Amino acid sequence: MAASVAKQAELLKADGNTYFKKERLGAAIDAYTEAIALVPNVPVYWTNRALCFRRRKEWTRVEEDCRKALELDSSSVKAHYMLGIALLEREEHAEGIKELEKAFDLERSAKRPGHLVEEVWSILAKAKYEEWERESSERSWTLQKLKDDCEKALLEHRFLDVSEDKDEVKDAVNDHSKQLELLKDVFSKAADNDTPKEVPDYLCCKITLDIFRDPVITPSGVTYERAVLLEHLQKVGNFDPITRETLEVSQLVPNLAIKEAVRSFLNDHAWAYKMN
Amino acid sequence: MTSSSAPSRKALSKIACNRLQKELVEWQVNPPAGFKHKVSDNLQRWVIEVNGAQGTLYANETYQLQVDFPEHYPMEAPQVIFLNPAPLHPHIYSNGHICLDILYDSWSPAMTVSSVCISILSMLSSSTAKQRPADNDRYVKNCRNGRSPKETRWWFHDDKV
Repeated sequence: MAASVAKQAELLKADGNTYFKKERLGAAIDAYTEAIALVPNVPVYWTNRALCFRRRKEWTRVEEDCRKALELDSSSVKAHYMLGIALLEREEHAEGIKELEKAFDLERSAKRPGHLVEEVWSILAKAKYEEWERESSERSWTLQKLKDDCEKALLEHRFLDVSEDKDEVKDAVNDHSKQLELLKDVFSKAADNDTPKEVPDYLCCKITLDIFRDPVITPSGVTYERAVLLEHLQKVGNFDPITRETLEVSQLVPNLAIKEAVRSFLNDHAWAYKMN
Repeated sequence: MTSSSAPSRKALSKIACNRLQKELVEWQVNPPAGFKHKVSDNLQRWVIEVNGAQGTLYANETYQLQVDFPEHYPMEAPQVIFLNPAPLHPHIYSNGHICLDILYDSWSPAMTVSSVCISILSMLSSSTAKQRPADNDRYVKNCRNGRSPKETRWWFHDDKV
Protein backbone atom coordinates (compact mmCIF):
# COMPACT_ATOMS: atom_id res chain seq x y z
CA MET A 1 0.00 0.00 0.00
CA ALA A 2 2.63 2.50 1.13
CA ALA A 3 4.87 1.51 -1.74
CA SER A 4 2.19 2.17 -4.30
CA VAL A 5 1.44 5.59 -2.80
CA ALA A 6 5.12 6.51 -3.03
CA LYS A 7 5.16 5.28 -6.62
CA GLN A 8 2.11 7.36 -7.48
CA ALA A 9 3.72 10.44 -5.96
CA GLU A 10 6.85 9.84 -8.03
CA LEU A 11 4.71 9.63 -11.16
CA LEU A 12 3.06 12.92 -10.24
CA LYS A 13 6.47 14.49 -9.78
CA ALA A 14 7.50 13.25 -13.23
CA ASP A 15 4.33 14.80 -14.66
CA GLY A 16 5.16 18.03 -12.86
CA ASN A 17 8.65 18.05 -14.36
CA THR A 18 7.23 17.54 -17.85
CA TYR A 19 4.74 20.38 -17.42
CA PHE A 20 7.49 22.59 -16.02
CA LYS A 21 9.68 21.99 -19.06
CA LYS A 22 6.75 23.02 -21.28
CA GLU A 23 6.35 26.17 -19.17
CA ARG A 24 2.89 25.00 -18.03
CA LEU A 25 3.47 26.24 -14.51
CA GLY A 26 -0.13 25.92 -13.25
CA ALA A 27 -0.30 22.26 -14.26
CA ALA A 28 3.14 21.60 -12.78
CA ILE A 29 2.15 23.19 -9.46
CA ASP A 30 -1.01 21.05 -9.35
CA ALA A 31 1.00 17.87 -9.98
CA TYR A 32 3.57 18.67 -7.26
CA THR A 33 0.77 19.64 -4.85
CA GLU A 34 -0.85 16.24 -5.36
CA ALA A 35 2.48 14.50 -4.86
CA ILE A 36 2.95 16.43 -1.61
CA ALA A 37 -0.56 15.49 -0.45
CA LEU A 38 0.31 11.82 -0.97
CA VAL A 39 3.84 11.86 0.48
CA PRO A 40 4.62 15.11 2.31
CA ASN A 41 8.13 14.21 3.48
CA VAL A 42 10.02 14.28 0.18
CA PRO A 43 11.97 17.58 0.02
CA VAL A 44 12.27 17.55 -3.79
CA TYR A 45 8.50 17.85 -4.22
CA TRP A 46 8.65 21.07 -2.21
CA THR A 47 11.70 22.52 -3.96
CA ASN A 48 10.28 21.68 -7.38
CA ARG A 49 7.07 23.47 -6.52
CA ALA A 50 9.11 26.37 -5.15
CA LEU A 51 10.86 26.58 -8.52
CA CYS A 52 7.45 27.05 -10.21
CA PHE A 53 6.53 29.78 -7.74
CA ARG A 54 9.90 31.39 -8.37
CA ARG A 55 9.08 31.62 -12.07
CA ARG A 56 5.81 33.27 -11.16
CA LYS A 57 7.58 35.60 -8.72
CA GLU A 58 5.32 34.47 -5.88
CA TRP A 59 7.99 34.98 -3.26
CA THR A 60 5.97 34.21 -0.13
CA ARG A 61 5.06 30.84 -1.61
CA VAL A 62 8.70 30.21 -2.57
CA GLU A 63 9.70 30.95 1.00
CA GLU A 64 7.03 28.63 2.48
CA ASP A 65 7.97 25.70 0.28
CA CYS A 66 11.71 26.15 0.80
CA ARG A 67 11.32 26.34 4.58
CA LYS A 68 9.27 23.16 4.48
CA ALA A 69 11.96 21.44 2.36
CA LEU A 70 14.65 22.59 4.81
CA GLU A 71 12.72 21.11 7.74
CA LEU A 72 12.97 17.79 5.91
CA ASP A 73 16.55 18.23 4.69
CA SER A 74 18.59 21.07 6.11
CA SER A 75 21.35 20.50 3.53
CA SER A 76 19.21 21.08 0.45
CA VAL A 77 21.23 23.46 -1.72
CA LYS A 78 18.24 24.32 -3.89
CA ALA A 79 16.07 25.16 -0.88
CA HIS A 80 18.68 27.46 0.67
CA TYR A 81 19.32 29.02 -2.74
CA MET A 82 15.70 29.78 -3.64
CA LEU A 83 14.90 30.87 -0.09
CA GLY A 84 17.80 33.30 -0.34
CA ILE A 85 16.48 34.71 -3.61
CA ALA A 86 12.94 35.04 -2.20
CA LEU A 87 14.24 36.91 0.86
CA LEU A 88 16.32 39.25 -1.28
CA GLU A 89 13.28 39.96 -3.44
CA ARG A 90 11.45 40.94 -0.28
CA GLU A 91 14.40 43.17 0.66
CA GLU A 92 15.36 41.06 3.66
CA HIS A 93 18.97 41.43 2.59
CA ALA A 94 20.86 40.08 5.59
CA GLU A 95 18.73 36.94 5.89
CA GLY A 96 18.80 36.38 2.14
CA ILE A 97 22.58 36.65 2.01
CA LYS A 98 22.85 34.18 4.90
CA GLU A 99 20.81 31.59 3.00
CA LEU A 100 22.80 32.11 -0.20
CA GLU A 101 26.05 31.70 1.71
CA LYS A 102 24.78 28.40 3.11
CA ALA A 103 23.82 27.23 -0.38
CA PHE A 104 27.22 28.30 -1.71
CA ASP A 105 29.18 26.49 1.00
CA LEU A 106 27.08 23.34 0.73
CA GLU A 107 27.46 23.22 -3.03
CA ARG A 108 31.19 23.88 -2.85
CA SER A 109 31.83 21.08 -0.40
CA ALA A 110 29.60 18.61 -2.23
CA LYS A 111 31.37 15.44 -3.37
CA ARG A 112 30.68 16.38 -6.97
CA PRO A 113 30.19 20.13 -7.07
CA GLY A 114 27.66 20.99 -9.70
CA HIS A 115 26.85 23.83 -12.01
CA LEU A 116 25.09 25.63 -9.17
CA VAL A 117 28.38 26.95 -7.73
CA GLU A 118 28.64 29.65 -10.38
CA GLU A 119 24.90 30.40 -10.38
CA VAL A 120 24.69 30.75 -6.59
CA TRP A 121 27.89 32.79 -6.58
CA SER A 122 26.62 35.29 -9.14
CA ILE A 123 23.49 36.03 -7.11
CA LEU A 124 25.34 36.05 -3.80
CA ALA A 125 28.05 38.32 -5.21
CA LYS A 126 25.49 40.79 -6.52
CA ALA A 127 23.69 40.90 -3.16
CA LYS A 128 26.96 41.32 -1.26
CA TYR A 129 28.11 44.08 -3.60
CA GLU A 130 24.86 45.98 -3.20
CA GLU A 131 25.11 45.55 0.56
CA TRP A 132 28.62 46.98 0.41
CA GLU A 133 27.42 49.95 -1.66
CA ARG A 134 24.81 50.79 0.96
CA GLU A 135 27.06 50.26 3.96
CA SER A 136 30.20 51.86 2.56
CA SER A 137 28.45 55.04 1.53
CA GLU A 138 27.11 55.29 5.07
CA ARG A 139 30.57 54.61 6.49
CA SER A 140 32.15 57.22 4.24
CA TRP A 141 29.51 59.78 5.17
CA THR A 142 30.11 59.16 8.89
CA LEU A 143 33.88 59.44 8.44
CA GLN A 144 33.57 62.64 6.45
CA LYS A 145 31.45 64.19 9.16
CA LEU A 146 33.86 63.09 11.87
CA LYS A 147 36.75 64.55 9.88
CA ASP A 148 34.98 67.89 9.45
CA ASP A 149 34.24 68.00 13.18
CA CYS A 150 37.84 67.18 14.05
CA GLU A 151 39.13 69.92 11.76
CA LYS A 152 36.75 72.40 13.32
CA ALA A 153 37.78 71.37 16.82
CA LEU A 154 41.46 71.80 15.98
CA LEU A 155 40.79 75.24 14.60
CA GLU A 156 38.88 76.31 17.71
CA HIS A 157 41.60 74.90 19.88
CA ARG A 158 44.13 77.03 18.02
CA PHE A 159 42.12 80.21 18.58
CA LEU A 160 41.88 79.51 22.30
CA ASP A 161 45.66 79.35 22.44
CA VAL A 162 46.30 82.79 21.00
CA SER A 163 49.42 84.22 22.40
CA GLU A 164 51.06 87.64 22.19
CA ASP A 165 54.46 86.19 21.45
CA LYS A 166 55.17 86.23 17.71
CA ASP A 167 57.35 83.11 17.77
CA GLU A 168 54.75 81.19 19.68
CA VAL A 169 52.09 82.16 17.13
CA LYS A 170 54.33 80.91 14.34
CA ASP A 171 54.86 77.58 16.11
CA ALA A 172 51.15 77.21 16.72
CA VAL A 173 50.37 77.76 13.02
CA ASN A 174 52.99 75.18 12.15
CA ASP A 175 51.62 72.63 14.60
CA HIS A 176 48.16 73.23 13.37
CA SER A 177 48.98 72.53 9.73
CA LYS A 178 50.93 69.41 10.75
CA GLN A 179 47.97 68.15 12.72
CA LEU A 180 45.65 68.76 9.78
CA GLU A 181 48.02 66.78 7.54
CA LEU A 182 48.10 63.91 10.04
CA LEU A 183 44.34 63.97 10.37
CA LYS A 184 44.00 63.68 6.61
CA ASP A 185 46.32 60.67 6.63
CA VAL A 186 44.46 58.93 9.42
CA PHE A 187 41.13 59.37 7.68
CA SER A 188 42.39 58.27 4.31
CA LYS A 189 43.75 55.10 5.94
CA ALA A 190 40.42 54.49 7.59
CA ALA A 191 38.74 54.62 4.18
CA ASP A 192 41.30 52.32 2.58
CA ASN A 193 39.34 49.06 2.84
CA ASP A 194 36.36 50.67 1.17
CA THR A 195 38.38 51.93 -1.78
CA PRO A 196 38.11 49.51 -4.73
CA LYS A 197 41.43 48.53 -6.27
CA GLU A 198 42.83 45.40 -7.86
CA VAL A 199 42.30 42.04 -6.21
CA PRO A 200 45.75 40.57 -5.46
CA ASP A 201 46.91 38.10 -8.15
CA TYR A 202 47.37 35.27 -5.65
CA LEU A 203 43.62 35.32 -4.96
CA CYS A 204 42.77 35.08 -8.68
CA CYS A 205 42.65 32.07 -10.99
CA LYS A 206 45.15 32.17 -13.88
CA ILE A 207 42.41 31.00 -16.24
CA THR A 208 39.38 33.07 -15.22
CA LEU A 209 41.56 35.98 -13.99
CA ASP A 210 38.83 36.41 -11.40
CA ILE A 211 38.77 35.97 -7.61
CA PHE A 212 38.49 32.30 -6.54
CA ARG A 213 35.14 30.74 -5.67
CA ASP A 214 36.21 27.13 -5.31
CA PRO A 215 40.02 26.89 -5.51
CA VAL A 216 41.72 23.54 -6.14
CA ILE A 217 45.46 22.90 -6.14
CA THR A 218 47.33 20.61 -8.56
CA PRO A 219 50.41 18.47 -7.78
CA SER A 220 52.50 21.20 -9.45
CA GLY A 221 51.39 23.54 -6.69
CA VAL A 222 49.30 25.82 -8.89
CA THR A 223 45.79 26.77 -7.78
CA TYR A 224 42.88 27.08 -10.22
CA GLU A 225 39.14 27.63 -10.15
CA ARG A 226 37.68 24.13 -9.95
CA ALA A 227 34.97 24.49 -12.61
CA VAL A 228 37.23 25.87 -15.36
CA LEU A 229 40.05 23.48 -14.58
CA LEU A 230 37.63 20.54 -14.91
CA GLU A 231 36.48 21.98 -18.23
CA HIS A 232 40.10 22.30 -19.34
CA LEU A 233 40.88 18.67 -18.41
CA GLN A 234 37.83 17.54 -20.32
CA LYS A 235 38.16 19.71 -23.43
CA VAL A 236 41.80 20.68 -23.83
CA GLY A 237 43.83 17.88 -22.33
CA ASN A 238 45.18 16.12 -19.25
CA PHE A 239 47.84 18.62 -18.32
CA ASP A 240 48.38 21.43 -15.85
CA PRO A 241 47.63 24.61 -17.86
CA ILE A 242 50.70 26.43 -16.55
CA THR A 243 53.36 23.78 -15.95
CA ARG A 244 52.04 21.38 -18.63
CA GLU A 245 52.69 18.44 -16.34
CA THR A 246 50.32 15.48 -16.67
CA LEU A 247 47.22 16.00 -14.56
CA GLU A 248 44.19 13.84 -13.70
CA VAL A 249 40.96 14.93 -12.04
CA SER A 250 41.67 12.58 -9.13
CA GLN A 251 44.82 14.57 -8.27
CA LEU A 252 42.95 17.80 -7.53
CA VAL A 253 42.68 18.86 -3.92
CA PRO A 254 40.67 21.79 -2.51
CA ASN A 255 42.99 24.62 -1.50
CA LEU A 256 41.57 25.42 1.91
CA ALA A 257 44.15 28.07 2.76
CA ILE A 258 43.31 30.12 -0.34
CA LYS A 259 39.61 29.58 0.30
CA GLU A 260 40.08 31.12 3.76
CA ALA A 261 42.23 33.94 2.38
CA VAL A 262 39.50 34.78 -0.16
CA ARG A 263 36.85 34.70 2.54
CA SER A 264 38.85 37.04 4.73
CA PHE A 265 39.68 39.39 1.85
CA LEU A 266 36.04 39.60 0.79
CA ASN A 267 35.03 40.24 4.36
CA ASP A 268 37.13 43.40 4.50
CA HIS A 269 36.81 44.39 0.84
CA ALA A 270 33.29 43.53 -0.24
CA TRP A 271 33.68 45.71 -3.36
CA ALA A 272 35.64 42.76 -4.78
CA TYR A 273 32.32 40.95 -5.17
CA LYS A 274 31.68 43.14 -8.19
CA MET A 275 31.28 41.07 -11.34
CA ASN A 276 31.76 42.50 -14.83
CA MET B 1 40.99 38.51 -49.29
CA THR B 2 41.27 35.58 -46.94
CA SER B 3 43.07 37.35 -44.17
CA SER B 4 40.17 39.59 -43.22
CA SER B 5 37.27 37.20 -43.72
CA ALA B 6 35.58 36.46 -40.43
CA PRO B 7 35.20 32.82 -39.51
CA SER B 8 31.57 31.98 -38.88
CA ARG B 9 31.34 32.14 -35.13
CA LYS B 10 29.02 32.30 -32.19
CA ALA B 11 28.83 35.04 -29.63
CA LEU B 12 31.21 34.80 -26.68
CA SER B 13 30.14 32.69 -23.72
CA LYS B 14 29.78 34.39 -20.36
CA ILE B 15 33.07 32.96 -19.15
CA ALA B 16 34.83 34.16 -22.31
CA CYS B 17 33.30 37.61 -21.98
CA ASN B 18 34.36 37.99 -18.35
CA ARG B 19 37.84 36.81 -19.05
CA LEU B 20 38.31 39.12 -22.08
CA GLN B 21 37.09 42.12 -20.13
CA LYS B 22 39.68 41.34 -17.47
CA GLU B 23 42.39 40.89 -20.11
CA LEU B 24 41.47 44.20 -21.69
CA VAL B 25 41.67 46.06 -18.38
CA GLU B 26 45.03 44.43 -17.63
CA TRP B 27 46.26 45.31 -21.14
CA GLN B 28 45.25 48.95 -20.67
CA VAL B 29 47.15 49.16 -17.39
CA ASN B 30 50.12 47.10 -18.48
CA PRO B 31 50.39 46.53 -22.27
CA PRO B 32 53.17 44.26 -23.58
CA ALA B 33 56.11 46.35 -24.89
CA GLY B 34 55.91 46.97 -28.64
CA PHE B 35 52.15 46.41 -28.96
CA LYS B 36 49.17 48.71 -29.26
CA HIS B 37 45.56 47.59 -29.06
CA LYS B 38 43.44 49.54 -31.53
CA VAL B 39 40.48 50.72 -29.54
CA SER B 40 37.13 49.36 -30.64
CA ASP B 41 33.98 48.22 -28.92
CA ASN B 42 34.31 44.75 -30.41
CA LEU B 43 35.44 42.49 -27.59
CA GLN B 44 35.48 39.45 -29.87
CA ARG B 45 37.97 40.83 -32.41
CA TRP B 46 41.05 42.72 -31.37
CA VAL B 47 43.31 44.44 -33.87
CA ILE B 48 46.78 44.95 -32.45
CA GLU B 49 49.66 46.95 -33.83
CA VAL B 50 53.10 45.29 -33.57
CA ASN B 51 56.36 47.19 -33.77
CA GLY B 52 59.41 45.19 -34.79
CA ALA B 53 62.01 45.19 -32.01
CA GLN B 54 65.13 47.34 -32.37
CA GLY B 55 68.20 45.45 -33.48
CA THR B 56 66.18 42.84 -35.38
CA LEU B 57 65.32 42.44 -39.06
CA TYR B 58 61.92 44.04 -38.39
CA ALA B 59 63.12 47.17 -36.58
CA ASN B 60 61.05 50.28 -37.44
CA GLU B 61 58.43 48.17 -39.20
CA THR B 62 54.81 48.04 -38.08
CA TYR B 63 52.36 45.22 -38.68
CA GLN B 64 48.83 44.45 -37.61
CA LEU B 65 47.60 41.34 -35.86
CA GLN B 66 43.96 40.36 -35.91
CA VAL B 67 42.83 38.26 -32.96
CA ASP B 68 39.42 36.56 -33.12
CA PHE B 69 38.05 34.84 -30.04
CA PRO B 70 35.92 31.69 -30.21
CA GLU B 71 32.77 31.19 -28.13
CA HIS B 72 34.59 29.03 -25.59
CA TYR B 73 37.75 31.07 -25.17
CA PRO B 74 40.04 30.40 -23.28
CA MET B 75 39.22 26.70 -23.54
CA GLU B 76 39.92 27.15 -27.26
CA ALA B 77 42.78 29.17 -28.73
CA PRO B 78 42.03 32.50 -30.37
CA GLN B 79 42.60 32.74 -34.13
CA VAL B 80 45.59 35.00 -34.68
CA ILE B 81 46.66 36.21 -38.12
CA PHE B 82 48.62 39.10 -39.59
CA LEU B 83 46.60 41.54 -41.67
CA ASN B 84 47.93 42.32 -45.13
CA PRO B 85 50.83 42.94 -45.58
CA ALA B 86 52.21 40.20 -43.34
CA PRO B 87 55.89 40.35 -42.34
CA LEU B 88 58.31 38.34 -44.45
CA HIS B 89 59.25 35.46 -42.16
CA PRO B 90 59.96 31.73 -42.59
CA HIS B 91 56.91 30.88 -40.42
CA ILE B 92 54.47 33.48 -41.68
CA TYR B 93 52.53 32.86 -44.89
CA SER B 94 51.69 35.64 -47.28
CA ASN B 95 47.99 35.34 -46.35
CA GLY B 96 48.88 36.24 -42.76
CA HIS B 97 48.66 32.74 -41.26
CA ILE B 98 51.26 32.05 -38.58
CA CYS B 99 52.88 28.67 -37.98
CA LEU B 100 53.28 28.76 -34.19
CA ASP B 101 52.42 25.76 -32.03
CA ILE B 102 50.88 27.65 -29.09
CA LEU B 103 48.15 28.97 -31.41
CA TYR B 104 47.04 25.44 -32.21
CA ASP B 105 48.03 22.10 -30.59
CA SER B 106 49.98 23.63 -27.72
CA TRP B 107 47.40 26.17 -26.61
CA SER B 108 46.74 26.38 -22.88
CA PRO B 109 43.93 28.36 -21.24
CA ALA B 110 46.47 29.94 -18.91
CA MET B 111 47.86 31.88 -21.90
CA THR B 112 46.57 35.35 -22.66
CA VAL B 113 46.50 37.71 -25.63
CA SER B 114 49.44 39.43 -24.02
CA SER B 115 51.52 36.25 -23.70
CA VAL B 116 50.62 35.24 -27.28
CA CYS B 117 51.78 38.65 -28.54
CA ILE B 118 55.08 38.28 -26.72
CA SER B 119 55.61 34.85 -28.33
CA ILE B 120 54.91 36.26 -31.78
CA LEU B 121 57.31 39.15 -31.27
CA SER B 122 59.99 36.75 -30.06
CA MET B 123 59.40 34.62 -33.16
CA LEU B 124 59.91 37.71 -35.34
CA SER B 125 62.96 38.84 -33.39
CA SER B 126 64.80 35.55 -33.72
CA SER B 127 64.41 35.42 -37.50
CA THR B 128 67.65 35.48 -39.49
CA ALA B 129 66.17 35.76 -42.99
CA LYS B 130 63.28 37.73 -44.43
CA GLN B 131 61.66 35.04 -46.51
CA ARG B 132 58.38 33.17 -46.89
CA PRO B 133 57.95 29.53 -45.82
CA ALA B 134 59.08 27.09 -48.51
CA ASP B 135 55.53 25.85 -49.13
CA ASN B 136 53.98 29.34 -49.16
CA ASP B 137 52.33 29.26 -52.60
CA ARG B 138 50.87 25.79 -52.16
CA TYR B 139 49.56 26.61 -48.68
CA VAL B 140 48.05 29.96 -49.61
CA LYS B 141 46.34 28.40 -52.65
CA ASN B 142 44.80 25.78 -50.37
CA CYS B 143 43.41 28.50 -48.12
CA ARG B 144 41.74 30.48 -50.88
CA ASN B 145 38.23 29.52 -49.80
CA GLY B 146 38.75 31.49 -46.60
CA ARG B 147 39.91 28.61 -44.47
CA SER B 148 40.94 29.48 -40.91
CA PRO B 149 44.52 28.62 -39.90
CA LYS B 150 42.98 26.71 -37.00
CA GLU B 151 41.71 24.15 -39.53
CA THR B 152 45.20 23.55 -40.89
CA ARG B 153 47.07 20.45 -39.80
CA TRP B 154 50.31 22.11 -38.89
CA TRP B 155 53.71 20.49 -38.83
CA PHE B 156 55.89 22.29 -36.37
CA HIS B 157 59.09 20.82 -37.79
CA ASP B 158 61.30 23.75 -37.08
CA ASP B 159 61.41 25.35 -33.67
CA LYS B 160 64.67 27.20 -34.19
CA VAL B 161 63.28 30.33 -35.82
